[in-house]
Amino acid sequence: MTNPSSQPPAFRTSRRRFLGGTASVAALAGLARPGEAQDQPDPRAALDGYTPEFLSAAEWAFIVAATARIIPSEGDGPGAIEAQVPVFIDRQLAGEFGAATDLYMEGPFVADADPNFGLQTPLTPAEIYREGIAAFDQWCQQEQGSSFADLDASAQDAALTALSRGEAGLAPEVRDFWTHLLQNTREGYFADPMYGGNAGMQAWVYIGYPGARANFREWVGRDEPYPMGPVNIAGERA
Amino acid sequence: MRTFLRIIGVLVVIAVVAFLAFLFIPVQRTPAQAALPDSWTPEEGQGEYAMRLGDCMACHTAPGGEPFAGGREIESPLGVIYASNITPDNQTGIGGWSLDDFRAALYDGVGPDGTHLYPAMPYENFGRISEEDVRAMYDYFMNDVPPVDNAVSETALSFPFNQRWGLRAWNWVALSDAAGFTAESTDPELSRGEYIVEGPGHCGACHSPRNAIMAEAALDGSDPQFLAGGEIAGWTAPALRGPNSAIRGWSADEVAAIMGTGRNAHSAVNGEMQLVVQDSSQYFTDEDLQAVGAYLVSLNDDGPAPEVTDDGATEALLASADPSMALGARLYLDNCNACHFANGQGADEVFPALAGNSLVTAAQPTGLISMILNGSELPSTAARPYRLRMPGFAARLSDDEVAALASFVRQGWGNAAAPVEAGSVADLRDQGDAATH
Ligand code: HEC
Ligand code: HEC
Ligand code: HEC
Repeated sequence: MTNPSSQPPAFRTSRRRFLGGTASVAALAGLARPGEAQDQPDPRAALDGYTPEFLSAAEWAFIVAATARIIPSEGDGPGAIEAQVPVFIDRQLAGEFGAATDLYMEGPFVADADPNFGLQTPLTPAEIYREGIAAFDQWCQQEQGSSFADLDASAQDAALTALSRGEAGLAPEVRDFWTHLLQNTREGYFADPMYGGNAGMQAWVYIGYPGARANFREWVGRDEPYPMGPVNIAGERA
Repeated sequence: MRTFLRIIGVLVVIAVVAFLAFLFIPVQRTPAQAALPDSWTPEEGQGEYAMRLGDCMACHTAPGGEPFAGGREIESPLGVIYASNITPDNQTGIGGWSLDDFRAALYDGVGPDGTHLYPAMPYENFGRISEEDVRAMYDYFMNDVPPVDNAVSETALSFPFNQRWGLRAWNWVALSDAAGFTAESTDPELSRGEYIVEGPGHCGACHSPRNAIMAEAALDGSDPQFLAGGEIAGWTAPALRGPNSAIRGWSADEVAAIMGTGRNAHSAVNGEMQLVVQDSSQYFTDEDLQAVGAYLVSLNDDGPAPEVTDDGATEALLASADPSMALGARLYLDNCNACHFANGQGADEVFPALAGNSLVTAAQPTGLISMILNGSELPSTAARPYRLRMPGFAARLSDDEVAALASFVRQGWGNAAAPVEAGSVADLRDQGDAATH
């Protein structure tokens, strides 16, 4: 994959390139194309049947709105909403990831230490989301006059850009909120569907990844697309 | 072990005919096959080794139980047969048995009081065990095995199968070959191999077909029925000779490898054969493994190795990754290709070849279906300690999918076995669920 930072900033940066790299801020700005998908059916309808396990209604509305800007539905592949990324995030927060089961969570905590010292917050990822969403929504309210989910797409992109640059006034304890949100959005997009995201293996189909087959020895070195669709861990085929 | 018990169904018929005669003539015990001086004593370890050749431990030790203390349940459609406690405990084991009593259990299937043993104890084959090995084992069980007080549950089959005297009639027919071993070949290696295979190794108990009264159709290698293929617990125990021989084209070294380590360049052991390797043949000396290999290969000298009829179409189809391929092939790519590869050849001593594999093409697809549903783990052996494992796919594949996949591998790469029905898969899945709950 191409590293976006080596490319001139392009308005139509492809989603694939965006996801492959880390220079998300520049790319985010480029992805803001408000109002383009107005006449299509609302892909959020697919999420309606889901009852969040961890997120409150307001938090859920935020996650749906934010992931929809990080991987938008307009473009040449499924967006975060089609892939049901919010379901993935909610389930992760309700589970061991949210509870920091695998993290060392003893003090001392020096939340404002240099980021080079790694995670320093006393909060679990679930708490970071909870407090981070509340604080960021409040910031949106102050700056833009409404909570994030109610902003229009370009205002949302501007707000996320500020968040990603550490300019949304978040306390040090929740400064990793954006990093988690971006990372978990990517994970939900590409992880096996058993975790709730990547619905119907759409993300895998889109990039031509064969999934939990993990076997294509015969194709190594052949300079042509691999034709067979993916299989997931449960054995479903797409 | 189930097949042994179908034997019993036939008993009744014969028993009724011969009833009175049998009741009144006392049981004859087969005498020692060689006159050893009373002063004869086994060499260090000889008795334990003979026990390994005979695999006494596998049947006579309950899962998690003390060695030889019995209680292992041998399933049969008529009920459970409990293997006896054969430690030298006076009350619950074979303490106090004379050498003649011990020999009679091995050769004739009778206890000291004349009680007949069910042929789940393979005395049809043990009649060929040499007097040295009988004496050495007797010495081992009486002096080296610690006595264990363990009263084994009484085997209680329903009438008429609980009438042990009926076995006498069966024995009269089944044991019509005189006891004792005579080698066919004068070559010492071949005759040693033949001895192990026919006698203590009781390979024929699973690998020979059964006749009308469910006795082994042949007990020695001169008869082409011997090792011509049998069935055990619903699995095919493949023919080890003749046109369908599982080992056709194998070298003696390759046979020795699979018996000693559970795997070789072609294949790996599964089902009941894993227990044989785990508890018995992995302990064979290199000379004995070679002897068994040489003898089995000599039974396959009568024809050329099978022609390879694989035209490469299966490999080409899999390698194409064509999304329109049929379900079975697609499932192979999704689930099996990573280890067994598009050419169905696997990798020597790690992933068995599925092309030309006797378990894949067995008349009874039970073994193949069970492999796909439950996976399997090879026994750890001294030479190959790592337990190679194949995962089970029960959670990933529906009955229809398993049937399509099994049918595909049974017909791929030149294999030509009948397809598998989803109903057979459902039955085995239910049995597996029942066994684990
Ligand atoms: C395939 C399983 C199997 C193997 C192998 C086997 N046995 Fe047995 N054996 C049995 C069963 C089952 C019984 C009990 C039969 C019955 O109750 O009618 C038995 C009974 C016996 C008895 C009679 C015990 C009594 O109290 O009546 C002796 C002795 C015995 N076995 C010795 C041996 C020896 C020695 C070996 C090894 C050379 C051996 N067995 C191998 C299954 C086996
Ligand atoms: C308790 C029953 C039983 C006994 C006893 C037994 N086998 Fe087997 N054997 C099987 C079954 C079932 C299979 C098929 C499963 C498999 O392929 O591993 C098999 C398979 C084999 C194979 C082919 C392995 C493969 O994967 O291609 C060989 C060789 C073999 N047995 C040799 C022997 C020899 C030699 C003896 C005697 C020392 C013996 N067996 C005793 C049940 C038995
Ligand atoms: C992760 C690697 C792996 C995968 C995937 C795998 N196998 Fe295996 N397979 C093994 C190993 C290792 C063995 C030997 C272990 C054993 O027989 O107990 C084996 C043994 C077998 C055997 C028995 C061969 C013999 O000689 O007795 C069959 C049949 C088989 N596999 C079929 C399949 C099928 C069909 C699939 C797809 C559903 C599959 N395997 C997927 C690793 C794998």
